[in-house]
Amino acid sequence: MIGLKDFKQVEPYIYEVATSFRDDMQVPARFYADTILLEGLRNDRSLEQLVNTACLPGAVKYALAMPDIHQGYGFPIGGVLATRLPDGAISPGGVGYDINCGVRLLATHLQLEEVSPWLDDLASAIYAHCPSGVGRGGRIKLKTGELDNVMRLGSGWALKRGFATESDLERTEENGCLAGADPNAVSPRAKQRGQGQVGTLGAGNHFIEIDVVDKILDENVARRIGLTAGRVVIQIHCGSRGLGHQVCSDYVKRFQKTIQRFGFQLPDRELVCAPISSPEGRDYLAAMKAAANYAFANRQVLAHLIRRSFEQALAGKVSNYQIYQVYDIAHNMAKIETHEIDGSQVKLCVHRKGATRAFGPGSKELPAAYRDIGQPVLVPGSMGTTSWVLVGTRASMSRTFGSTCHGAGRTMSRKKAKKSVHGAGLREQLESAGIHVRAGSLSGLAEEAPTAYKDVNRVVEVVHGAGIARKVARLRPLAVIKG
Amino acid sequence: MEKKKASSTCDESQGDTAFEELDHTADRALRVYGLDMGQLLINAACGLNSLLAPEFAPGAARCKVGVQLEALDAESLLVEWLSELAYRAESERLVFDEFELQEVSPTRIRAILWGRPAARLERDIKAVTYHNLKIVQTEKGLTATVVLDV
Repeated sequence: MIGLKDFKQVEPYIYEVATSFRDDMQVPARFYADTILLEGLRNDRSLEQLVNTACLPGAVKYALAMPDIHQGYGFPIGGVLATRLPDGAISPGGVGYDINCGVRLLATHLQLEEVSPWLDDLASAIYAHCPSGVGRGGRIKLKTGELDNVMRLGSGWALKRGFATESDLERTEENGCLAGADPNAVSPRAKQRGQGQVGTLGAGNHFIEIDVVDKILDENVARRIGLTAGRVVIQIHCGSRGLGHQVCSDYVKRFQKTIQRFGFQLPDRELVCAPISSPEGRDYLAAMKAAANYAFANRQVLAHLIRRSFEQALAGKVSNYQIYQVYDIAHNMAKIETHEIDGSQVKLCVHRKGATRAFGPGSKELPAAYRDIGQPVLVPGSMGTTSWVLVGTRASMSRTFGSTCHGAGRTMSRKKAKKSVHGAGLREQLESAGIHVRAGSLSGLAEEAPTAYKDVNRVVEVVHGAGIARKVARLRPLAVIKG
Repeated sequence: MEKKKASSTCDESQGDTAFEELDHTADRALRVYGLDMGQLLINAACGLNSLLAPEFAPGAARCKVGVQLEALDAESLLVEWLSELAYRAESERLVFDEFELQEVSPTRIRAILWGRPAARLERDIKAVTYHNLKIVQTEKGLTATVVLDV
């Protein structure tokens, strides 16, 4: 078990476990925290998991964890690991089962005062239009072979079907489509699981939330990305549903069989991996991209359904209920990116599991409209608490492979949360705080209680203080819709 | 190779403890016990059912399904077995509570499962992980801790 003596503070907010801690570490492990967050890490095994990721073949510089780090399986949630091409490892467990789980931020032209009288109607309309909950299928019926197009084209498929605008795609990471996705690398079972779930929210920690911009920290950047104080916005948090879960399961299983051939010794079977250049590694990457595109399409269809909900609830009541997209980002993904290592531009496979890409100003991967300000980073808080819009920095490029935090991060198990929080009481508490709640399951609501999470403001202070993202705007919840 | 014909249900006593849920920050973890591989698999299925927490409509008809799985090793068989049950729960809402194990080895299972379609499930089991998974022989039999992504 890792203890206080095993890591040292190397810079403000940065702690490091040296490779001397364990013989199998390829690189040091670094994590971002303040003293309070550091104290919380004693309660789970996330730092041990971080050290395990530092053992992956081909790891470069550091295995990293963001301040929202918490215990997962294999990789910790909040983990970032870059491996060198062509023979470094790609690990399905380094992406997780919910491939391209991510967040989309939509904005309206409406001020809070205009929407306030209709918030309850809006929450009901979104709950009715956006299928949510355990095992809930969607209303989008795919024709034969159309699922392959969803996986190949991602948001591009949604554009062709009339569920998106050009501007939505421009303001989505990778324009909502990872090149090189191969539906043939996806199993029939994964396709079967994904067939009926396009445009569904799912359950667990996934949600749709209506928020108001309650504080602006950077006027210029906020204005450029379309945010002003008092404006009503919407967040969508979900991923690739059963299709992505099955893709990960299939490749974790396949890699168990092939790992011996590569001679990799790993501390945990969930970290199973293959060289990026191997047939197995290439197949996984192609399948992961297919699942990622499915997730982009899924969030895009949900955005379309939210637009319809706004029309239904607000037409004739407000002057302009149109919705535009601020940005859409992934926080469970492996991507081939070029980063500067020891003065050279090097191609890497960057695994982000519960971590957000946070590219700084000047990155060619960003949409033209945002290239000079940096990439918007969307950090949802726990239910009922604030969320944040940040922007990527040049420091994040050099320190964290252009990555930052993805949320608040859990501190309490779902089992404990369910025991200590009463779902109906929590709902009442949220409602009395003026937050409209639509939830399919009260026990599911209890598992996601704010007390089960870290303080998102503290997490954001750390990434802002460490310079790996910068505060732009704070959001306050008005309505939450959960499965 | 163990061979069993008698069926076992989740309501029957499976020794001292069939399974228990452990704390896990983000997901769900089950510690499962069994006198042998067959019982370990049945108890793991019962543990999975406790997480799915199905609600059945009155009069939901029982059905049976044959399952045959092969895996690399015993841990993989446990993952495969639970993954199959989680898949049936997601895709068909079928939850099984009676198991006739026709053939069991550390790498293979052939079984008939009886269950009912649930009207509602408490949660999705996204996946069954290999995280720190090891089936351990104890004085009382076998035990394993399995982490499920929810």
